[in-house]
Order: sequence, then structure tokens, then C-alpha cells
Amino acid sequence: MSVFRNRYPCQQTRREFVWEMGNGFAGLALTSLLANDQFFARHANAQQSSAPHRAPAAPAAKPYYFGSPARSVIFLMMNGAPSQVDTFDYKPELTKYAGQPLPPHKAYINSGGRKVGFLTPHFRPFRPGGESGLMISDYFPHVRQHADKLAVINSCHTDSHAHGSALVAMNTGNTFIGRPSLGSWAVYGLGSENDSLPGYVVMLDKRGGPISGQPNWSSGFMPSTYQGTLFRPTGNPILDLQGPPQIDQAMQRRQLDLLQQLNATYQQQRRGVEELTSRVQTYELAFRMQAETPEAVDLSQETTATLEMYGVGRQPTDEYGRNCLIARRLVERGVRFIQLYSGGGHLEETWDAHESIEKNHGRHGAEVDQPIAALLSDLEQRGLLESTLIIWGGEFGRMPFSEGPGAPGRNHNPYGFSMWLAGAGVKGGIQYGSTDEFGFEAVENKVHLHDLHATILHLLGIDHELLTYFHQGRDESLTDVFGQVVRGVLA
Amino acid sequence: MRWPFLSFRLAGCVALLALGLRDAKSAESNFDTGIASVLIRRCLECHHTEEAQGGLDLSTEQGLRQGGESGAVIVAGDAAASRLWQRVSDGEMPPSVRGVSKQLPAAELEIVKAWIAAGAPWPAQRVLDRYERTTSERGGRDWWSLQPIQPAAPPPVPWPNASASQVDDASARAIDAFVAQRLLAAGLVPAPPADRRTLMRRAYLDLWGIPPSADELDAFAADPQPNAYTQLIDRLLASPHYGERWGRHWLDVVRFAETCGYERDQLKPHIWKYRDWVIQALHQDMPYDRFVQEQLAGDELPDRTESTVIATGMLRAGTWNDEPNDPADYLYERLEDMVHTTTTAFLGLTVKCARCHDHKFDPISQEDYYRLGSFFWAGYLGQANLGGPTAAELGYDVFGWTDRSATVEPIRLLMQGERHKPGAEVAPGFLSAVTAISRPIHPPAAEARTTTRRLQFAQWLTDPKHPLTARVIVNRLWQHHFGQGLVRSVNNFGFKGDQPTHPELLDWLAADLMEHGWRLKRVHRMIMLSATYQQSCDHPQHDACAATDFANRWIWHWPRQRLDAESLRDALLSASGELQRSVGGPSFYPTMSPEALEGLSRKDAAWTASPASEQMRRTVYMISVRSRILPLMTTFDFCDTTMPCGQRDVTTVPTQALALLNNDFVHERSAALAARLTVEAPDDPPQQVIRAFRAVLGRNPHEAEQAFCLQYLHDQSAAMTRRQSAQPELGSRSVPVDALASLCHVLMNSHEFIHIE
Repeated sequence: MSVFRNRYPCQQTRREFVWEMGNGFAGLALTSLLANDQFFARHANAQQSSAPHRAPAAPAAKPYYFGSPARSVIFLMMNGAPSQVDTFDYKPELTKYAGQPLPPHKAYINSGGRKVGFLTPHFRPFRPGGESGLMISDYFPHVRQHADKLAVINSCHTDSHAHGSALVAMNTGNTFIGRPSLGSWAVYGLGSENDSLPGYVVMLDKRGGPISGQPNWSSGFMPSTYQGTLFRPTGNPILDLQGPPQIDQAMQRRQLDLLQQLNATYQQQRRGVEELTSRVQTYELAFRMQAETPEAVDLSQETTATLEMYGVGRQPTDEYGRNCLIARRLVERGVRFIQLYSGGGHLEETWDAHESIEKNHGRHGAEVDQPIAALLSDLEQRGLLESTLIIWGGEFGRMPFSEGPGAPGRNHNPYGFSMWLAGAGVKGGIQYGSTDEFGFEAVENKVHLHDLHATILHLLGIDHELLTYFHQGRDESLTDVFGQVVRGVLA
Repeated sequence: MRWPFLSFRLAGCVALLALGLRDAKSAESNFDTGIASVLIRRCLECHHTEEAQGGLDLSTEQGLRQGGESGAVIVAGDAAASRLWQRVSDGEMPPSVRGVSKQLPAAELEIVKAWIAAGAPWPAQRVLDRYERTTSERGGRDWWSLQPIQPAAPPPVPWPNASASQVDDASARAIDAFVAQRLLAAGLVPAPPADRRTLMRRAYLDLWGIPPSADELDAFAADPQPNAYTQLIDRLLASPHYGERWGRHWLDVVRFAETCGYERDQLKPHIWKYRDWVIQALHQDMPYDRFVQEQLAGDELPDRTESTVIATGMLRAGTWNDEPNDPADYLYERLEDMVHTTTTAFLGLTVKCARCHDHKFDPISQEDYYRLGSFFWAGYLGQANLGGPTAAELGYDVFGWTDRSATVEPIRLLMQGERHKPGAEVAPGFLSAVTAISRPIHPPAAEARTTTRRLQFAQWLTDPKHPLTARVIVNRLWQHHFGQGLVRSVNNFGFKGDQPTHPELLDWLAADLMEHGWRLKRVHRMIMLSATYQQSCDHPQHDACAATDFANRWIWHWPRQRLDAESLRDALLSASGELQRSVGGPSFYPTMSPEALEGLSRKDAAWTASPASEQMRRTVYMISVRSRILPLMTTFDFCDTTMPCGQRDVTTVPTQALALLNNDFVHERSAALAARLTVEAPDDPPQQVIRAFRAVLGRNPHEAEQAFCLQYLHDQSAAMTRRQSAQPELGSRSVPVDALASLCHVLMNSHEFIHIE
């Protein structure tokens, strides 16, 4: 690093300097700096500090960063789309209108051309939670105890009624695949605090991935350094962390020593070897990661009380409880962005409750309610909630009418749905925006997903208009030319 | 004015001088260099005839005198009373952007003030045009890349390194002269020539993407013939492996993958034939103008064949969503994909930016976008049949493109790019900023089955007077030979891109390409025969050169490169002796670890890996499924497959080390090599070490290397033996083979293996 710094003043432009400088595991926003000089950054080299856990690279120097206590994000992704009127959007009027059709002036696309039934009230009762008295249904009794921490946004709306496009939109801002995801932007903007762990971790549901797969955590046109890394909850959490059984650690060390010996000879015979030095360092870092990364998911270090709180070791909470607990451990280790999928594969394996809200949400709610509540409690008691932003929600919502007369399921609804935020910088115990009396479409203080993304970046201390990545002649940003920060949810 | 940036600064100085002197310069000239320049740069973006914000049009005298919605903007002779002055002087105009003030610099304010004070004179009939010139804010029609290609004779500058063994080739000499001129101007001396072994390995990996064998390296190093290198280049260029290597570069540019993406991520049947078409076209040195024409309009060519229809698969290789939110809107997304891919690939311009509004930085109007869009408007943009024509409609069982009929409803410009805000109808036409070629779009002949617009687009692109097509492709060739193009932003020759480091060389190459029948192999050959290309990576005065030119713009050495994803995988297979070199055919499915398949929503949609022998084929034949690209590929910076990629990222991250250390595929290669060496030189560790070096690095080990590798084998074997006796449950493996495999594995991780010098 100092090698480069010496060179920096020598007539070369800042972009050439930054271009060669590079960064750790998940890198930093190099290219935004480069973009100012109209330069196409092509190289992001790893630069390692000897300390495995280092401080974030002075984001204060970045024009898009205005400071924030938030250091990490946990996005609780309810894959398949939970029903807002059955969870966080209390619509007592639906009881009154039960059995009637949605008024004809309410236009919508009937996703998948499914049967259209009548307005149907919530399947489980709502009750007030906390001092704020936020109304939350009995699918989330544990989360309800944290009502005063939540900013529930009831007026979300998005651009697609199809899972594949809507998931990609929730993750990247656009219904078309190919753009960098929210986590990529976060790591690009803030860098990673831990060289041994990826900055952006995605944990899937064992039942499968989300529809559209990889593009949901892609880094799009940014270097792959910024893409989400799939993390498994046991053993070796990331790919290629362990070699074949015949090579043990000491043998691998011997291999590395030989490798470094060969490489040292090679480098001695050459000049201008900064990138080679970087590569040598990545090998040492990789060697450390083999030991340190599994430690991040080693729950044997947790107390029985903690495990119980998350519902680890019990059904139906074991899987999501484990993932939530690992998320907390990753936050402690400086991972920037963590996304936990609830629901995987298709239809009833996800929150996609076409058949029955009660059966589906009863099942998935029971899997995640206690773990999410435990995560909120645990982060709070460890003093991490003020630096961790929690996001809860799906890719869209569901219709207030049933899927066929008298049927117990609901079809897709991109026109109005609920999400909630909690933690760093979020005003707790509030409801923001609202849907119409049916819970069908957002009408008051509407929050488009671009607005949501702008708000998430804002809570991370990032101006969503200024965090840009120069690509194909354009300064690209997460929110494109859209997005308004939802001031009403800020503490 | 070929280099607007430089010239502009000069012009600005001249303007100020002229203003101060109030000399005899004509009023019109004063106007042009003074106030016109300010108005064009600062005001016209929002105040021109088509978009007169606030009702104010500053492009004509009439508009100026008329003022805007709030009344007159000029009181001739009285700046202080003039609204225009008030608003620019208080910084209200131009409006700030993202909180950053755009207030005019003092010198420009002076120009405005003085002009109003002088009565705001305006030459008769003069109409200002935003695109008429490049300003500090945007490119105009005088932008360098839009000017005619003007080849100049190579400068009489000899290559400044006497030790270079220059090949007797006039074209290569010309390249060297252009490069030498810049090197000397920068006070730099080129690196000495690379040694023969280095050069051969570079040439192989550059042209084939496969390293040479140790025997080939030995023979070449010992070959006394002066033309050995020339023969080598000719031999490499003649092989289909050249087509495989360089075809892959092109596939990046046209965002090629074999599935649609999105939820169902359907396979595009027969799209692999397009990949083979690219490989064969390059292998056979198809003239580049024909290469463009077949891909854009192979279905419309008079000599249409199955092969030319396959070529149109380029238009259809992008992503396709079978479940768009609104299919009517989606037509325009598909249109953008085609306009963007073709204009990026062939023109190196970001035309797509003009879909919703006039281009912010280049002289490309929104109308231009829809003019080009009309070329694809007659196509099968709808949702049937994976979004394209059927085999019957194409006339062949291939995955190509054609029009629905010879006539099509007119396309309309969309305000803000939104379908429910249609604007005027737009007639088909070419980019208005390319003024060197003026030709109408002809309606199709009576018997035509298509609109023939794409054919005319292709003919326009390949007109020898076109300023961009030849420059863009020779720049891509240069880029892959040197790691960077002469224009470093290879997909953007516009205002936001980089300007050429060697403009004369770029034009000389472009002109040479066209003069010699658009043959790309000729360009490869002259580049590779140049002393510029044959430089060593290692420069004796590296630090001094880097201090002057850190980014190697003036090419004072050949920059070291890491193997890209394909070359790395092919080189591993080559080292183990397993590489299967059969050319063409359907793609193979690589073995995907269960962990890598976890991200799939349909776990039942099983991934069936191809038989092992097929997986030994070159990586260009590996299927790219958009929702599940092999992790080994993305780890080593495989391109994004949703948009044209001109240059891949090059990252150095620990996941690459993890993959090379632990990935099964890599272990299988080192194990295979060890097994082979054990058979070739049984119980002979010294010979095994030599052979391992030769297989992986193409050379014999040095004495010291041989010694510490033998020591390593000894120590590793001992450890393995101890472990086997301690842990019998591990099973009885052959310790010597395992130890040797672990040595081969180290070599496969070495700098020397994964870099090209």
C-alpha cells in the first residue's frame, strides 16, 4: 500500500492511483472515485491488512457518505410475499365488506389469471403491541412484543406482480435482471470491516432459492467482488473452503510454503510486482479464512439460553433461528449486509399463499416469528441494534380478496403491501403510510421500492443520488433517477 | 477540430483575448467564440426549440428577443435590468445539480454581461445548435470519434530500442513508429524484447487461450530461423483455436448466454450454433463488414443461407422474460436490448441513453434512438416462441431473427420513454451525428419478406466512410493484445469515454483494415509482429517509467495479465493432459457442486452434468445458464451476461485463492497429472518433478527448485504416511501419488502458471 502511496503524486491521476490500490475481501467503492475522472475501473485488487478485523476505510472522505451509526443491515426476506392484511396492515373494514367484490374501479392485473373471489378479512386476529399499540396479527405474536421498535410501512408498492421480476426488483431496484443488488451497493459504498468474511452474505431457505436465482444477489455490472456470497448455516459456510480429505491443514501449509517460495523466486526476478504481492496475500488470507469462517457459524459458542431464545434445536424454528443467530454473529464480525430468506422454491414452500393463508402463513409465521423477535432482543441487549438496520418484508403483497369465492388463499398484489424497518436510525412504534380501506393499494404517503431503497441507503449514511457507479457512459445508481427518502420513518 | 478538448481550451482563451481587445475581428466571429459558446455550453440543453423550458428558446434570435413565460429576458444595453443576467449572475441558472452549484465561472459571466451591454447582437439567421460543437459539458458533432478516419503516414521515428530483433514487416514497423513517437515524447524507452519462451507462451495464450507444451517451447527457443516467430504467429492464426479464443471475446460483447434468464430460464434451442458461427467466422477470417452484415441481417441478405440466419442469433441471445409485468411495455425493453447491443458492439456508443431523453453527453437525440429502434420494430418482439420467430418462419431449424413482414406500423417516440406518452412517429434513419454518410432508408422491394431495414443498417455501418465501425473493432483487437485499448473505454467512444492514447495509430489501423478487405487476421498479425507487442513485461527502469506513466498509456512494456476464467480452466486441463480439443457442437454441462446448486428455486429441475470426457472440452463450449453460472467462472471475473461487456473486470481476491486451493475441479486436474507422471516415470521423484514442471510451467525446474521440490515431496510423503497409519479410516491411498498431486497442485497455483507475461 505504501508502495503505491509513494507513487501517487508523480503525475499520475488519482484514478490510476485508486485503480491499483484495491481493497479487501469485498472491496470498497473504488470506482465511484474513478468515475469522477471518467475512467473505467477494471482492477480491484485485494489489499490486506495484517489485522483480520480492521476498521472501515474512512468513509467520511467519500462525497456520498454523510455519516451514520448504522454499520450493518439484516434483510429478513419473506420470499413469496406475505399478505399485508393478515400481518401488519390492520383492515377491520374488510369484515364489513366480507363477501363483496373489490369495487370495479379498482383496476389490477390478475397475476397468473387466477380465480377472483370476494373481499375476505384477516384470518387471524390483530392485537395492539407495546406502548405504541401497533396492530400486529397473531401470525407474529413474538414480533408484536417489539412493536415499539418497528416502523411499519403500510404503503409499499412495486413494479411487478410476478415473483421472478418482483424479487429481482426488491433486491436490485429493477424488474430486469442484471443490476447490482442492494447488498452490493452497500458494500460498494461502505466497504467491509472484516477481511476474512464476505461483506455481503445471503442465507437461503433449505427448501430452495428464490425465483430468478443468482440475479437476486448479483453485483450486475460491478466487479463480482461485490456480489452476495451464499452462506450455509453449518460446517463450511462458503464454497471451496475445504480441500479433499487427504490434505490436512499441516499439509496444506506445506503446500502454501512451497507456493510462496516459488512465487518469491518469481517476484525477485521481476520489477513492478505489486499485483503479484497482492495475490500472495490473498493466499495467506484464504488460509486464515479456512479456519475463521467456520467459526462464524459455530453455534456451540452460544449459551443454552441464547439458543433457546432463537428456537434453535426445536421445530419449526430451528432453521430460521439458526440463521438469525448466525446473522447476529456476522454483524458482530463486521459483515455489512446479510439477507436471510424465509421460504424457498415455489408456492406453499414460500409465503406464496395461493391455497390457504392460514395454512401457509401459520406455517411460515411459526418458523420465523420467534427467531426474529429473538434477533431483535439479542441485538438490543448487546447494544448492536443501534448500529444494525433490520428490514422485514416480501417482494409484494397479497390481494384483500380470496382466490375464488370462499377460497382461503390470496393472489399476488404489487399495488399495496407492508414492510417494516427497525434498529439503526429508525423511529420505532410507528405506522407510516396507508392502503385504501380494503388494504388493496397504497394511497397515503406511498412508498415505492425506490423510496425504500433510498431510505435504506440513507439510514446507512449514504446519499442514494451520489453513490454512483460509472458504467457504459452513465453514472448508475441503485435508485436510478427515482427514490425519495421516507423521512417519516427516521428517528 | 479533431481534438475538441484541447482545441476548446485554446478557443476559450482566444475568445477572452478577443473580447478584451475589441479588435477588428468580425462581429460574427466574436459571437461564435464568445456568447454563442456560453449559450451552447450552459443554456441550450434546456432552452432549445424542441425543449424550451420556461418557454425560453435561446437557440435563435427570435427566441431570445421573445423571452420566456415570465417575459423578456434581455434589455439590450442594460445587463442589470436583464432577466437573463440576473438569473445567471445570482447562480440560479443553470440550476444546481444534486446540490452542486452550476454557476457560470467569472470569465463567462463577463462575456454575458459584455454581450448584453453591447446590445446583445445576434448575427442574422444564426441558429445555435446544441450539437454543433463539443463543450466542457458534452460532446458535439465535432467529437473526435465522429470525424472521418484520417490515416496519416507513420512518423519517421525508429524504434528506440536497438536490441529489439525487429521482424521485417512494414505494417508492424508502422505500428512501432506511432508508438515510438509517443514514447519519445513522454521521455520513455521501451522495454527490451521478451525472450523466446515468454513470447511463445504469450502468443499461444493470446491467440488460442491455451499454453504451449514444453516441447514446443524448447523447439521454438532453439529454432535458429529468423522467421520462426512469424511462422509461429501464422500457424496460430490458422488454427480454429484462434476462433475459439477470439470468438469468446466477441460473445462477451454481444451478451451471449444460452438461456433466457428469469424464473424458468429456458434453454434457447440451437443458440450454440451461433457460438459456432462466431468461432468459424473468425477462424475463416470472414471480412468484418460481412461479419457485421450477417449478424444484423443474415436473414435479409440476397445470398442468405442457413449459416447467415444462424448469425442473426446475436440479436436474440439476450435475456428474455416470459412473464413481464406488462407485455406491451416489454416490447420496448426488447427493443432497447437490441439497440443497445448493436450500437455498443458496432459503434461503441451508448445510444440507449437516448431512449427517454436526448443523450446527456453525446450528440444523439431521442429521435435518433427511435430511428435506430425502427430497424428492429418489425421483428418478433412479442411473447410467443421464446420471444422470436419459429423455425418455420426462419426457414431453418435455428435460433435466429427475422421480421414479421415487409411492412410494419410506424414506431413512435415515447416521451420519457413511457409507452402511454407516445410522441411523433419516427421514420427509420441513421444516427444524425454521423454526417459523413448521407443516405436514405429505402422501402423494401415488392417481393421482399422483410423491411430490409437491418440490412440497410448493416450496410451503413460498413460503409468505408463510417467513422466508428472500423475504429471500434481495431480497438477491440488492440485491447485484447495489450490488456487495454487505444481507446480504453472500448464500448464508449463518446464524451464520457476515454480519448485515444494514440489517435493517429487508431486511424491508421482502421484505414488499413478497410483497405485490405476488412480482414482481422491481418491486423492481429501486424500487431503481433510489432516490436511494441514483443516487449518484455519487465522493464529495467520500471520505477522511473511507472512514475511517468503508471497506467502504461504509452506502452513502455507489455503488461502482465492474469489468465481469464476460460484460459485458466483450459490451461489446467492442458497441464493435466486432459484437454479435449474437438471444435464445435452443443455445449457441455459442467459438474456443479450441490452447494452451488442451492440457489435454485426449482431443485427438482435437476442439473445433469455431461459425461467426464465432454467436460474436458474447452471452456468456450461450457453452457452458460444465466441463473447458474459455474462459480469457478464468476470467481475469475467471467462477464455479466445480461449486457454487452467490452472488458472484463480483473480482481484479485481471496475467493480466487480458495478456489484454486480447494475446488474439486482443480484437484481432479492435479490428481490426473500426478497419475500420469507416476506411469511415465514410476518411482523416480526427480524425473517426476521435472515432468511436473514441464507439464504445468512448460520448462524444466532450476536446480534450486528441483532441490526444494524434492524436499517437499519427501516431507509431504512422510506426513501423509504418518497420517495414514494414525487414521486408517482415511483408506489406503497411494502416498507417492497424493504427494506428487499436491506438488502439481502448487505449481497450478503459482504466479508463473496463472499469469501471462
